[in-house]
Amino acid sequence: MVGHPGGPVRGRHRAPCLVGVGETEYTKWGGITDRSEYQLALEAIGAAVGDAGLALDDVDGLASFAEDRNDATFVAADLGLPELRYASMSWLPGGGGACAAVANAAAAVETSQAEVVVVYRALCQGQFRRFGRGPGNAVGSKVAPGGERPAVPRLRRARSLLEAHVAFTMPFGMFGPPIAYAMVLQRHMHRFGTTAEQMGQVAVTTRAHAARNPRAVMGRRPMTMEDYLAARMVSEPFRLFDCCLENDGACAVVVTTVERAADLSQPAVEILGGAQGALQGFGHGQYTNVGMPDDDYASAGARGVATRLWAGAGIGPADIDVAEVYDHFSGLVLLSLEDFGFCDRGEGGPFAESGALGWPDGALPTNTHGGSLSEAYIHGLNHVVEGVRQLRGQSTCQVAGAETCLVTSAAGVPTSALVLGRP
Amino acid sequence: MPMPAANAETVGWWEAAREHRLVVQRCTVCGRTRHPPGPICPGCRSTAAEWDELAGSGVVYTYTVVRQAFLPALADRLPYVVAAVELDGAGGARMVSNVVDVDPGDVSIGLRVELVWEDMGPELALPRFRPAPTAPGPTGAGR
Repeated sequence: MVGHPGGPVRGRHRAPCLVGVGETEYTKWGGITDRSEYQLALEAIGAAVGDAGLALDDVDGLASFAEDRNDATFVAADLGLPELRYASMSWLPGGGGACAAVANAAAAVETSQAEVVVVYRALCQGQFRRFGRGPGNAVGSKVAPGGERPAVPRLRRARSLLEAHVAFTMPFGMFGPPIAYAMVLQRHMHRFGTTAEQMGQVAVTTRAHAARNPRAVMGRRPMTMEDYLAARMVSEPFRLFDCCLENDGACAVVVTTVERAADLSQPAVEILGGAQGALQGFGHGQYTNVGMPDDDYASAGARGVATRLWAGAGIGPADIDVAEVYDHFSGLVLLSLEDFGFCDRGEGGPFAESGALGWPDGALPTNTHGGSLSEAYIHGLNHVVEGVRQLRGQSTCQVAGAETCLVTSAAGVPTSALVLGRP
Repeated sequence: MPMPAANAETVGWWEAAREHRLVVQRCTVCGRTRHPPGPICPGCRSTAAEWDELAGSGVVYTYTVVRQAFLPALADRLPYVVAAVELDGAGGARMVSNVVDVDPGDVSIGLRVELVWEDMGPELALPRFRPAPTAPGPTGAGR
């Protein structure tokens, strides 16, 4: 994103950077009842802007992802922004779009569409339907409270392309992401010998990181490998702690130009690279498509994103000091580490087993905030927040001298990633 | 179970299923199959397609044993097996379905399966699969 020819508009001074991060409290599912999800979004935006040393009157752009319920246009009106000059939402589904939303904000800043763009995400799962039950499906409307099947099942008209697609999975009981991605890990285990203990290494390591983070929902719930293995099976091979949290909370980050950042309160974190997209035939990911090539099925689906990310950033996996890797499921962290080149294909399990992901001594301290497994599930925007904190030297699991951070978004859907750097 | 929704591209598949015909959409120009059905061939971009009827035999490509009821209505079905089945004669196409009439512990990748229909009502039937007999033997009566 940097390196345009100099000029009045697109010079180096318009290079985008991250200058503010903010969040509300994170609680377990349904834990926030005194404010709406929308209020939390506004609160997180305010916190991030304040952290940057900016005022809400400075904000002229908004970006989000994951079919955000909290429309940017209402946000702009309710916060009294002087003028909304940029608003976008990523098409990448669910948590695939967190890094893309930041990259979109960066592109808006670099092309002078806006000066200060806030990327935000709020999730109060207790106030809405759980994820994974499909868009507009009949669960709520046709299944009686007692849970009986409707008397005469019949085909309905799909209201979206996605709804027509999940019709080929949901009637067979593939309701939640845990089921779809358990099938991916089963295939990975079959091909490469990945083990439960290797997935458990991700869960146990990030839980230990969360213990140092006062924001973490699971911060006071230490977990050993024995605890992990003893937890109930959800959808084989996923046990309970292979699955991320469901919780309430919101966070936001602020993107502006390096020129503007020079006057602000926090050190700017550079956006060294960003990439997004999907492999050919990957569709919406393994949640709706199971017909992609075998090598892509048993993967995070991020090889293309990784190739372009490293090329654009001008560095490679060996240059990364700390990683915040999307962890909706422990096993998919292993697949992301493979796709982004930290280990060979099929070697994600042994890589984690070696202790590589642990802070402070691992080769690649990963999810230093506790991730979605143990800090909070804010669709991975909290991974961007943690990446910024690492490069400011403000993490509760600070990697000494960290200068580069990889942040990835959801594996198993069209996805995105960022490389952040300390100026 | 939540009931499926269909659009112009997929309704033909559901109508065939109602008549207990398992079909896959095949491009009539280049012969490529696609599932779920769609409006255009991703290979040659032709919009001409037909429904190929399949024998219903196949192999488990991957699977999971679901042990948590994500819907209350499913509690009495636990545990159940969700599988991606690679269907014979379908040009590599895979379908998500269930393996039924089996101890979940006996399911594995590579297991040969055969089609069994479940009528959900007069307008809807779902194709599920059960382990294929390893040797000729008496055939069961569905479920």
